[in-house]
Amino acid sequence: MSYSFKRTVFDSVIFAYLALIALVVFLSPSEEQMLNMNYNFALAFVLVGVGCVVSILLNKSSKITLGQIIFAPSHKKDPSQTEAGFTKLWCWQLWMTLLVTILVGINQTKFSFYELTDPDGFAGAMRLFKGLASPNFGIFPLAVLKIIETIFIAFMATILAIPLAFILSFFCAKNIMTSRYGFMLYAFLRTVLNVTRSVEALIWAIIFSVWVGIGPFAGMLALCLHSVASLAKQYSEITEAVNEGPIEGIRSTGAGFLQTIWFAIVPQVILPYVAFTIYRWDINVRMATIIGLVGGGGIGTMLIKYQGQALWPEVGCIIVVIAAVVWLMDTASAYLREALK
Amino acid sequence: MNSTILSIKNLEKTYPNGVRALKGVSFDVKKGEFLVVIGLSGSGKSTLLRCLNRLHDPTGGEVLFENKDIAKIQGHEVRDIRKQMGMIFQHFNLIPRHTVLSNVMMGRLGYTSTLASLFGKFDPKAKEEALRYLDLVGIGSKAHIRADQLSGGQQQRVAIARALAQNPKVLLADEPVASLDPATCHTVMDYLRKVNQELGITIICNLHFLSLVRQYATRVIALKDGELVYEGDPKEINEEWFETIYGAGAKEVHVN
Repeated sequence: MSYSFKRTVFDSVIFAYLALIALVVFLSPSEEQMLNMNYNFALAFVLVGVGCVVSILLNKSSKITLGQIIFAPSHKKDPSQTEAGFTKLWCWQLWMTLLVTILVGINQTKFSFYELTDPDGFAGAMRLFKGLASPNFGIFPLAVLKIIETIFIAFMATILAIPLAFILSFFCAKNIMTSRYGFMLYAFLRTVLNVTRSVEALIWAIIFSVWVGIGPFAGMLALCLHSVASLAKQYSEITEAVNEGPIEGIRSTGAGFLQTIWFAIVPQVILPYVAFTIYRWDINVRMATIIGLVGGGGIGTMLIKYQGQALWPEVGCIIVVIAAVVWLMDTASAYLREALK
Repeated sequence: MNSTILSIKNLEKTYPNGVRALKGVSFDVKKGEFLVVIGLSGSGKSTLLRCLNRLHDPTGGEVLFENKDIAKIQGHEVRDIRKQMGMIFQHFNLIPRHTVLSNVMMGRLGYTSTLASLFGKFDPKAKEEALRYLDLVGIGSKAHIRADQLSGGQQQRVAIARALAQNPKVLLADEPVASLDPATCHTVMDYLRKVNQELGITIICNLHFLSLVRQYATRVIALKDGELVYEGDPKEINEEWFETIYGAGAKEVHVN
C-alpha cells in the first residue's frame, strides 16, 4: 500500500469527522434524525468523499497535511516542514482534532462537576466507604473457601490452555507456515483466535453458564478459551522471533519438519513460553475473582450476592481477601518471571 | 580422485522479490577436492551452496549429484540428499542450550525416526561416533559443556563434528571463518583440510580471504553478480583476475 493512499484515507477521515461534528453542533438534529442510519451513513460517506477531494487538492497545492507528516517515508519529508509551529496546516489539523475530540468526549460521558460535588451523593458514598472500611470478618472462612475455588479456576484454565495453545502456536507462526496451504491455515487460525480474543472472558462466561450451568466450571471454561487464544498468539510471536540460524543448521542435517521444530525452535522458545504462561495464570487469577459476577463461580459469586443486599461490611471483607491474594500472586509471578530471564 | 561427484549445469536462482542471485552457473566438482568459491558479498556464493543441498530451491538448471538430478526433487528425497551433504555456516548455527555432544548427535537426525528422536533415542553407536568426531576436531574434552559456552572457533569445530556425524560425501562450508579472528581462522581451516585429506570428504567452501584460498584450495571458482567469472588453479589468480573479480581499485587483504 503506497503511503499516499494511507495519507489520503487518513486525512479524508479526519476532515469528514470534523465536518460531521460541525454539522451536529450547528444543526442540532433531533434524536429521531440521529437514529436514521441510512441517511447518516450516506451523509458520512459523502463527507469522506469531500474530505478526500480536499485532501488531494491540499496535497496538489503542496500543503503539508497531518497524514503526510505521519505516513510519508523520511526521505520525502522536508525537515523545515516537520517542525511544529502556528503557521503550519498540519499543526492546526492536529490541535483542532484533539480539541474537538475532548469536547465530544465531555459531552458523551456526561462529565459533570455538579454531580461530583453534590452533597447528597457524596454522603451516600461515604456511608458505603465506612462499611467497606470496617470489614465483617464473620464471613472470612467462607471467603477463604471461595478464594481457593477462584485460584483453582485460574489454575485449571491455564493448565488446560497450555497444550492447546502450544500446538496451535506453531500453526500460527509465519516463519513455519511458509508453504501456500500453510499460509492459508495460518491466516484462518489467526483470524479465529483474534475474534475469540476480542470477546472478553466475561462474555464467554455468560455463554458457558448457559451451556454447562452457572458455577466454577463455566468460569473455568471461559477463562480457558480466552487463555488459549491469548497464549497461542503470544507463543507464536515468540516463535516468529527465533533465530533462523539453528533452523537452517538442523534442516541441513536432513531432519524432518517435526524434528526441526523440536530441536531448532523449541529450545529457543521454551523459557519465554514459561514466563508468558506464568503471567497468564496471574491474569487469570485476577479475572477469576470477577468472573463470578456473571455466573462463573468463585469469590465473585459471593461478592455480587452481598453487593446486591448492600451488605457493605461483608463486601469489605471479600475485597480484602481478593486484594491480598491478587497481590500475592502478582508478586510471586513477578519473581518467578524475573528468575527465568 | 578424478570422478565427478557434483555437476552443476546452468544453475539459476531468482528470489521471489525478483533478485537474480544466480544467472546460469555451470561447473563440475571432482571427488575429494577442496573447491573454494570466491566473490564479493552478494555475488551469489551463499545462494549457490544452499541450492546444492536444497535449503533453497533453484529456479532453473540442473544439479547432478552422483549423476542424479537433484534440482527438482521433493520431500524425503531432499532430506536424503541433505544427509549426504553436511553443511557448516558463518554463524555456526548450533543449538545454544544443548550440550556439545547433543549438538553433534543432531547430525544423526536424518537417520533417526521422528518419534525416536523426539524421545532422544539415537542409535547407541551414534554416541560413540560423535565422541570420535569431537576428538578428531580436538574438543573431545568439551563434550558435556553447553554449546553457547564455547568460543567461536570451538563452536565451528562442533559444527564440523555435527556435519561429520552425518557421514557425508560432501561438506558445504558457507564462510566458515568470516566471524572468527585470524588465528582461530587457521585452526578451523586446518581441521577442514584434515577432514578433506584424512576422510576423503569433498569440500566446497565459500571464502573471502585470497591468502586462505591460496593456502587451502585445490581448485577455485569465482562468482561475480551471479555468474562464473573464473575457474582454475588458486595459485594462478593474479592481479588482473583479482580486479576482474573484485573490481578495479580493490586491494588484497592478508590474514596474519
